[in-house]
Amino acid sequence: MQHRIRLRAWTLLSVALLIAAWLILTWGGLVRDLFLPPPDELWDGFVDLATDGYRNRTLLEHVEASLWRIGAGFATGTVVGTLLGLAMGYWRPVEALFAPFVEFLRPLPQLAYLMLLIIWLGIGETSKIILLFLAALPVSAVAARDGVRNVRLQSILVARSLGASEWQVFRHVVLPSALPEIFAGARIAIGVVYGTLIAAEIIAGSSGIGWMILDAGRFLRSDYVFVGILSIGLMGLALNGALVALEARIVHWAGR
Amino acid sequence: MTTIDMSANRRTLLKAGLGLGGAALLGTIPRRARAAGPDKINIAFFTETSPSAIAKGNGWIEDVTKAKINWIEVGSGAEINTAVAAGSVDLGIGIGSAPTAAGLSQGIGYQVVYIRDNIGPAEELTVRTAANIKKPSDLIGKKVATPFGSTSHFRLLGFLKTNGLTQHQVTVLDLRPDALVAAWQRGDIDAAYVWAPAKSKLLAAGGEVFRTYDKLEAAGYVIADLIVARTAFAQQYPETLVEILKAENRALDVWTSTPDKAADIIAKQAGVTPEVARADLLEYDFVAPKRQLEPKWLGTPGHPGRFAEVLQSTAKFLAEQKSIRSVPDLAVFQKGINTAPLGQALV
Repeated sequence: MQHRIRLRAWTLLSVALLIAAWLILTWGGLVRDLFLPPPDELWDGFVDLATDGYRNRTLLEHVEASLWRIGAGFATGTVVGTLLGLAMGYWRPVEALFAPFVEFLRPLPQLAYLMLLIIWLGIGETSKIILLFLAALPVSAVAARDGVRNVRLQSILVARSLGASEWQVFRHVVLPSALPEIFAGARIAIGVVYGTLIAAEIIAGSSGIGWMILDAGRFLRSDYVFVGILSIGLMGLALNGALVALEARIVHWAGR
Repeated sequence: MTTIDMSANRRTLLKAGLGLGGAALLGTIPRRARAAGPDKINIAFFTETSPSAIAKGNGWIEDVTKAKINWIEVGSGAEINTAVAAGSVDLGIGIGSAPTAAGLSQGIGYQVVYIRDNIGPAEELTVRTAANIKKPSDLIGKKVATPFGSTSHFRLLGFLKTNGLTQHQVTVLDLRPDALVAAWQRGDIDAAYVWAPAKSKLLAAGGEVFRTYDKLEAAGYVIADLIVARTAFAQQYPETLVEILKAENRALDVWTSTPDKAADIIAKQAGVTPEVARADLLEYDFVAPKRQLEPKWLGTPGHPGRFAEVLQSTAKFLAEQKSIRSVPDLAVFQKGINTAPLGQALV
């Protein structure tokens, strides 16, 4: 317990040091606001964005637009990816069918095929969500497949010898054993989706926190850029926290 | 307020730094201190149909500066602003007046040293013929795309404003020129405000010109393409800058005296056919170097021209759009124009 308190103190110290450096650099006049906005300008920028908004939308509306895209892309991508991965892990022919595509797609930078998605699917929400979907899918597919692969053969054999049907083996042995890896995959996937968000919002933006950062950056409005980065960072922490909480509830037995 | 205070602060620091550097240089190698040009120059450029492409394509800049030129292709003036702020670009060729007004307002350390062209009808609203857009109010409920932060964006917003249209009535979308052409071909957008060669492609794919430029120019929405030089670079290497501007003038001469030859060279650089290049070039009003020094444009040292006012009114508009925080005094824009190198280039 005491150890934990001491570690907390270290964390607080590092954050405090960073803020102190920021104050000294900006209020001390060592760095221009163009490069690093001082706290008061950042606060003004935040109030401005929250009340008046950026290009006809308030900060909250931009956050909502982004969360909706992330949610839709992540949900569809991980559900389809996990189902595919489970099937790939359990039935070899399925693996043989899909592995080349999943493995090819996984390391591919999303910006590489951004233009194609615009031509095929247009500049609306579809192309943005598909881009995020394609980012999440291979990550969760690979995680689920590896999860299934790591199930102890012994457990499956025991279940079978006790007379379990194929479905029962899958439902009561394979799936629970693979769950921890599926969750780990989901957390990696949310990171990838998050990283792809800015690329997705390059497409004909007029909303979204990623687009706002890009557009404000064009005019070197570093106050808005910083507010955007802080919002996107806190959103990321919240999303990751939610996934961790969900994981702790569903697979509370993992790692024991 | 802090912006101005701090930029003054930094400028003094910069001067002190330059002074120290200069002194060090004088102390060690006095003979080379004045005549020596830079070893390497970072020049940002656009792929576009303009006489600048002749100077670049013929290797004139390399010849006159005897330096290694690092050509950096950019897609927007905003990229030039960022790069100059970071000190990675010395010269920006073809930067638009809108990003320049933003840059000078934010205290980016560069100067306008040349007006290459008055954009005029070269950037214009293009509408889909099938969408039957004949008057401004026909745009209500339609999607109009433009690259945000550009001179075209500035004109489009000016067009909406002067016609009493809001961005709730007309959807304005942010698309880079290449993506814009793709969206147009899919039928996702009905109108676009953009420059060539993207504009020519829209016209070829069922588009027609919706003339806005003459009224907008009369209302003060003048847009131009400029050459900016990083202030520290211009102070350190004035002779080099003069030589580069001479090369630019020579390139303009090639276009005015032998348009066909010029169109051929420029077409190769821009990746279009000579016919397209020629048609695009004809839409620009390239400002002859002597005209640039008239009061209507840049003016002369000590007698700043009216272009400073154009930059300031552009900045006012950008501040209304919240693209920039505040608009400095006219004097800041006047100081942001340095006509000495062009004057010397014409001697």
